[in-house]
Amino acid sequence: MQLLDYMQAQKLLQDHGIRSVDSKYVTSADDAAKFASSDAIVLKVISEKALHKASHGLVALNLNSEEKVRSAYKALEIKARDLSPYKVLAQRMVGKGIEIIIGGKTDPQFGKLLLIGLGGTYVEIFKDFALRLCPIGKKDALAMLYQLKSRKMIAPDDKTEKMIVSLLENTSKLFSENKMEELDLNPIILHDGTYDAVDLRMLLQ
Amino acid sequence: MTQKYADLTPIMYPKSVAIIGATDNTGKIGNIIMRNYIDVGFSGKIFPININSQGSILGFKAYKSVLDVKQNIDLAVIAIPAQAVPAALEECGKAHVKGVVVISAGFAEVGNVDLEKELERVAKKYALPVIGPNCLGVMDLRSRINTLFLPTFKLDKPKIGNISFVSQSGAVGSAVLDEMMHEGFGLARFISYGNAAVIDEVDVLNYLMHDKETKVIVFYIEGVKRGKEFVEVAKKATKIKPVVIIKGGRSDAGMQAAHSHTAALAGGYEAYDAVFRQFGFTAAKDLKDLLNYAKILSGQPLCTGNRVAILTNGGGMGVLATDALADNDLKQAQLTEASQATLRKTMPPIVNIRLPLDVGGDADDKRFGDALDVIEADPGVDALIVVALFQTPGADSRVAEKLIHHATGMKKPMVVICMGGNFTEMHKIMLESSGVPVYSSPSDAASSLAALISYSRYRQ
Repeated sequence: MQLLDYMQAQKLLQDHGIRSVDSKYVTSADDAAKFASSDAIVLKVISEKALHKASHGLVALNLNSEEKVRSAYKALEIKARDLSPYKVLAQRMVGKGIEIIIGGKTDPQFGKLLLIGLGGTYVEIFKDFALRLCPIGKKDALAMLYQLKSRKMIAPDDKTEKMIVSLLENTSKLFSENKMEELDLNPIILHDGTYDAVDLRMLLQ
Repeated sequence: MTQKYADLTPIMYPKSVAIIGATDNTGKIGNIIMRNYIDVGFSGKIFPININSQGSILGFKAYKSVLDVKQNIDLAVIAIPAQAVPAALEECGKAHVKGVVVISAGFAEVGNVDLEKELERVAKKYALPVIGPNCLGVMDLRSRINTLFLPTFKLDKPKIGNISFVSQSGAVGSAVLDEMMHEGFGLARFISYGNAAVIDEVDVLNYLMHDKETKVIVFYIEGVKRGKEFVEVAKKATKIKPVVIIKGGRSDAGMQAAHSHTAALAGGYEAYDAVFRQFGFTAAKDLKDLLNYAKILSGQPLCTGNRVAILTNGGGMGVLATDALADNDLKQAQLTEASQATLRKTMPPIVNIRLPLDVGGDADDKRFGDALDVIEADPGVDALIVVALFQTPGADSRVAEKLIHHATGMKKPMVVICMGGNFTEMHKIMLESSGVPVYSSPSDAASSLAALISYSRYRQ
């Protein structure tokens, strides 16, 4: 099994009509500052040696000035010294909102399963999630959403409900139609009437 | 087997049965099985087979091998030591036996994987449908077959009906079967398939889905062997009849191998849970629910609405039943103005005309009947829960008869809550033998009704 490169994974999402936050690999502090322009950004170290970025201190959030971007880049470079080969990913900051997780897993018995749940730090605590076998239809997507205790947090109105349903359908297509073992869009941030996948992992078969 | 799903017909409707391992020695499994065949009044031919046989066993002419019988054998039941099973199966193949049940244990379940592979190989060679090994086999009250090695006096007498019960495990199988009989469930077929070396849950599900005698399928599984085929058959089966299922082994150690959050959450049982929800199964978490759900699904009409009217002859029980509705996402129905007006005329002044309708402790069959006439016809009512407390002065067998009359005559589902001792028990039996599901607690009644509604919505 092989972890798909972040930018390639993002391209796959795009091809399936799934939104993800604007991202780019940067190779220097200058490069990072240029990407940021005047926006707040996030810098992340990506290395196969550190699967959980946040717990290794490999994520710098809310870098809202050129000075912060530059110093964060330098600090991450030092932390990542032992994790070579690594890359530094710059992402635009997304507005605040509810975090959800959508993912896929290949079950040895039944095949590809799609998951949706309340995301971020709540995943492990509440274990509020729903699963279905791929491919799913609109009815399944809706049933998944209604299985969640957090449904009204995630989809408080019809518009958001529709958005999540089509996001689930698209993710089901993406996962079913590619030779993919696992998929993790975690978190997806629901903000300003839309959503953005902020972190992605795709394991190929 | 050449076709994708094995045909169980020769096993379920044999005209002749060979019992391999039959013996005169009481207490031996081969003896119990043979006696059971005689006891249930099997009308076909019985051929006891025993390699050491001398003349006859239990009064029937005995043979050393199925090859010596020289007559048509539909079913062979094998109950001999595991090591000797493949050879016996080979002989069944040569003798053109049409189906086999291997009762013998001592195969993959104790690590003898090669021996089970050998059994599988022989079965394939002769395209023999084989149930087992390590199982109880089958029981069918209509065709009067019973391969179970359980002494009949230890189990309650089964009643013919429309529920088929399938169990991977023989232990769960025999205990639940006995309980079902005790509770008065009507049985269509019982199938315990053990190690599923040849015939597995998919074959059984496929057979029962087309089986005219089976209205409800009740399934105990520990796992499935062919996940994709299981889903393929299940999709069709649940569109035809309800499948109530329970899976043993819900906890799982597979979590450790997980690579991601998704993988960690979607471990062993969760995949089954997803399949059960997605493809219309009625999943039970314990054996009590399994039987509760089977009971309502076997006797009551489908119903997609969730507005439930409660009729009670005891205030407190009505309150508890109302709570149970809320716990199960069911709604308290509202009576129309017209219904209320009629009830004001027929009910005595002590009765408060609203749902839950408490008709009072002195309510007799007439009052129950008058109330039911109005409630069952009310367009705002989808289903009924009737609390009938037989401890009250007004309640007796005439009330039970009235409830049966209404429940069997209407198109809406109705369940009854009764709780108490022997007098109540007697009326519970009256109701249930007429197909009216009775529950001893409001929460069982409400969760069973919710299961029926949920299944009905899937069928829409």
